Amino acid sequence: MVSRSRRGFAFGLAILAILTTLAANVASTLEAGDRAPVFSAPSLDGNGTIELGEFRGKVVYVDFWASWCPPCLVAIPEIEALRREFPKDRFQILAVNLDQKQSKALRFLSKNPVGYPSLSDPKGRLPEQFGLETMPTSYLIDQAGIIRYVHRGFRRGDSSKLRLEIRKLLGPN
Amino acid sequence: MRRLLIVGLLLGLGFATTSCIRVKPWERELLGRRDMAWEPDGLEAKRDSHIYSSKEASMPSGGGGGGGCGCN
Repeated sequence: MVSRSRRGFAFGLAILAILTTLAANVASTLEAGDRAPVFSAPSLDGNGTIELGEFRGKVVYVDFWASWCPPCLVAIPEIEALRREFPKDRFQILAVNLDQKQSKALRFLSKNPVGYPSLSDPKGRLPEQFGLETMPTSYLIDQAGIIRYVHRGFRRGDSSKLRLEIRKLLGPN
Repeated sequence: MRRLLIVGLLLGLGFATTSCIRVKPWERELLGRRDMAWEPDGLEAKRDSHIYSSKEASMPSGGGGGGGCGCN
C-alpha cells in the first residue's frame, strides 16, 4: 500500500515535470513596442566584442542570419543597399550570425562582402532572448532602444517595406 | 485505487513530455539540408509518382488524372 505522503510526493513530482517541460518550450517573443535586450557578443571576424548599447541614439537594424538559410542570403544584398542609402551616423545595421561553424559564414561573406558588422552566436543565446520564431527575423530598434518593427522571413523586394519603416524612425532630417 | 491511477497517468505524461523538445529555428542547420528532405528533388519525385500511378493503372494519391498508358 502506497502511503498518502508518498502519493502526494509523486503527484507533485509529476506536475513539476510537466510544468518544467512546458516552460522550456515556451519562450517569450519580442514584438514592436518591447524594449530590446541589451546584448553583447563576439564579432564574427574575431575583432573583439560588439554591444548593442554602443549604438544608442541611432536607429539599429538587427538581422539574425545563417549561411544555411536561403532567405537570409536573399536579404543580405538588400540590407547592404539600405546601409549605403541611410546616413552612417544615424542608422546602424548589426547582423547576428547563428552558424555553428563560423567558417561557413566567413566563407559566404568573403564572396559577398558587406559593410556592416556581424556578431557570432553559435549557441543561439541572442535569438533565445529575442524569442525568434523563424529564420530570418530582423528587428528595427529606435534611438531609445525600443523595438519598432519586426520583419519575419524575407522575400526579394522586402527592403522597400523596411525602407519606409527606417524613414519613419529617422524622421524628416 | 483511482487516485493511484491518476498519479500513474500524470507521471507517465510527465515522462512523455520530457521528449517534446522543440527544435528552435536557428537549430535547423542539419534538418534543413537537402539530403534530409523526404523528397530532395521535386522533379524526380513527380516523375516517380507518375510512373507509379501509370503502372498501378489507378489515380495517384497525389491527385491528377490519367493512368494506364503513362502518357499524360
